[in-house]
Amino acid sequence: MASMSRKTTAWLAGIGAAVVALSACGGGSGSKDTGGGTNNAKKVTEIKLVAAEYSQDHTKAFWDQFAKTYQSKYGIKLNVQIISWNDIAQQSTTMVQNGSPPDILNINYYSSYAKDNLLYTADDVLPSSVQSDLLDAFKTSGTFNGKLYGLPDLSSARALFYNKTLFSRAGIAAPPKTWDEFEADAKKVQALGNGTIGYAMPLGPEEAQAEFSIWDFNNGGDWKDSSGKWTINSPANVDTLSFLKKLANVDKVTQNNPGKTNRTDGAFPLFTTGKAGMVVGFGPLSATLDKDKKVDYGIAPMPTKGASSPQTYGVTDYLDAFKKPGNQEAVKDFYQLYYQPDQVNTWIKSEGFLPVTKSGLDSFKSIPALKVYIDTLPNIHLTPNQDPTWDTVLKAVQQNIGTAVQPNGNPQKVLDQLQKTATSGG
Amino acid sequence: MSEKLSDATVAAGSPAATVMSAPDGSGRENASNATRARRRGGSRRGRAPFWVALLWLGPALLLIAGVVIYPAIELVKASTSNYSITGLRLGSAGGTNFSKVIHHPDFVTVMKNTVTWVVAVVVLTIVISLALAQFLSKEFFGRKLVRWAIIVPWAASLIITARLFTLLFDYYHGLINRLLLWLHLLHKPVDFLGDDKWTMPSMILVGIFVSLPFTAYVFLAGLNAIPDDVIEAARIDGARPWQIYWRVILPLLRPAMMIASVLNIIYVFNSFPIVYTLNDRNPGYAHDTSITFMYKLAFKGAEHSVGMSAAAGVFNVLLILVVVMVYLRLVKWQEA
Repeated sequence: MASMSRKTTAWLAGIGAAVVALSACGGGSGSKDTGGGTNNAKKVTEIKLVAAEYSQDHTKAFWDQFAKTYQSKYGIKLNVQIISWNDIAQQSTTMVQNGSPPDILNINYYSSYAKDNLLYTADDVLPSSVQSDLLDAFKTSGTFNGKLYGLPDLSSARALFYNKTLFSRAGIAAPPKTWDEFEADAKKVQALGNGTIGYAMPLGPEEAQAEFSIWDFNNGGDWKDSSGKWTINSPANVDTLSFLKKLANVDKVTQNNPGKTNRTDGAFPLFTTGKAGMVVGFGPLSATLDKDKKVDYGIAPMPTKGASSPQTYGVTDYLDAFKKPGNQEAVKDFYQLYYQPDQVNTWIKSEGFLPVTKSGLDSFKSIPALKVYIDTLPNIHLTPNQDPTWDTVLKAVQQNIGTAVQPNGNPQKVLDQLQKTATSGG
Repeated sequence: MSEKLSDATVAAGSPAATVMSAPDGSGRENASNATRARRRGGSRRGRAPFWVALLWLGPALLLIAGVVIYPAIELVKASTSNYSITGLRLGSAGGTNFSKVIHHPDFVTVMKNTVTWVVAVVVLTIVISLALAQFLSKEFFGRKLVRWAIIVPWAASLIITARLFTLLFDYYHGLINRLLLWLHLLHKPVDFLGDDKWTMPSMILVGIFVSLPFTAYVFLAGLNAIPDDVIEAARIDGARPWQIYWRVILPLLRPAMMIASVLNIIYVFNSFPIVYTLNDRNPGYAHDTSITFMYKLAFKGAEHSVGMSAAAGVFNVLLILVVVMVYLRLVKWQEA
């Protein structure tokens, strides 16, 4: 009997060890204080950049070239780590959690870091000539608690892409200007049959906030009002989401299950294969379409309902500068070089995105393909990135808004819940 | 005692050892090793002095301390800490992370999904594997080829397999829908990964697909270990084939069944890539198991909380430990 229970213990210990080994992969060590004195600390000889991968062709090539120039110019080594958009949020969280953030992080948010007092302000690291060159819309969106922390690396704006071949077959002369026209056109394209889809709507978790935002801005809605109060469940927003639900379930002019369709592996392929009549797209989609040469497409401003003129939804990403002992000078040099027109503009052009500086705007004006975006860029409409709560709300939007356009979805209820998330501080 | 411990650890920790030896028929040898080990249990030979034992155990103990115990401690620490959304530790959180996980509005859904997922995959895998192993133990032309073909899904990375299945299941371009439409079994494609009715069954199908190789080979090794004379004797006593299987073969497969079910419960419970990949376009937690729930709590959901995720991790470890213990008690595994 005694040996039996020993055996039991041994077995359980063995299984226990296996269980723990297989499942204990989460968790890391607590981080130490990373903010630090910068004046009397020893100057660093190398810094680290962690950057998101915009494209496999250009991102790494640009940063490698940049690191070489940076080293030859300032004598400081720049270590570059490129991470895919899927993983970068997770990996940067883990870096901070382990007390070893990079010196510069290229990612799509900043205010949570600023709130945790981990970042330099623009006054610490950005030459004043560059500060005044930044477009005002990005300055506003990069300002947290009255200080500029969010240093934009590039931007993109969205517009309505339409398939000219399908439009002419459906007898549509010009792209829609209002939501009513849009609805009618989508029905006409859908009626062509043979698997044709009026409008490809990606409201899945990948980027649901973008799809909702661009429709909502053109209905006079927004995430916040001008005084900074959350208005996620405002009548205009509910109206927008109800319209999207109607397109999917009553008009049936979208692809199957839009609440569970992502952009890159769902909506875009439907458009690039010529199946969908319309989709909201941006620069990199044009690049794909131009390369494939399979679809004859046009780009138009978004149709409007409540808004007086077409609004564009814009996205900007940031180069966050982390406070670490002795790195201030090196980080400053980094920005000095990055915002040189021959660096930043060359890169943005190769990736197919839009500039963030006034000087960049001038140099991009001559590109006809970008005209539809460039014209709207100074009035670009962004999400409230300057509020750290948005970083939480954003995730809630991505995980929930798609459920509202399902057959049994309830736009009012979903937006009420999101409003509650936002007002309770996330 | 120490000898027993390492035996058990090897058995539980390295299924590969059992399985890899199977294809060339040496599973027989493996099983008889196990029997010998059991017989030896009673007799006590000379014990090695403590320091010698320690010398031999040292590397393994170090490895366990570094790979198992240290992360476990860190996990518990993280679960009782309060983290900013950026990952910065803000201070201690006491037990709030645990209560937040348990009171999460989707917690019950996630638990139900986990039970469905584990029970369905493990039970179906074992039933199918039993048949498959029986088939593979027979001599037939091309047996070697079939044996290799069955091992392939196991050798492929789970992420790749899962990605492949998202393509196969696709509503517009997926081969499965195209085939069913072409055969006129359907007149409209099925949204295997988006339709709430189909998501879990589709994931279970893939779960079974990747669990089959390992399980089938465990049973194959078990079958090879059954001496022919036992079956011969049963036949002479007038047992019909079905009786032989039910009364002789199946009871003798009990040890293999134990290993296969316990390890499968642990693997399937901990399976992340399949559930995550097949489910990644679906918003919310409607089809998540407790493992993907844990990941999303930290990085994808609105909670965005490393602390809550760690708490869910601790909860997961305890849950699987309890499940395995209850299972072992139920099947009275000591008698196996």
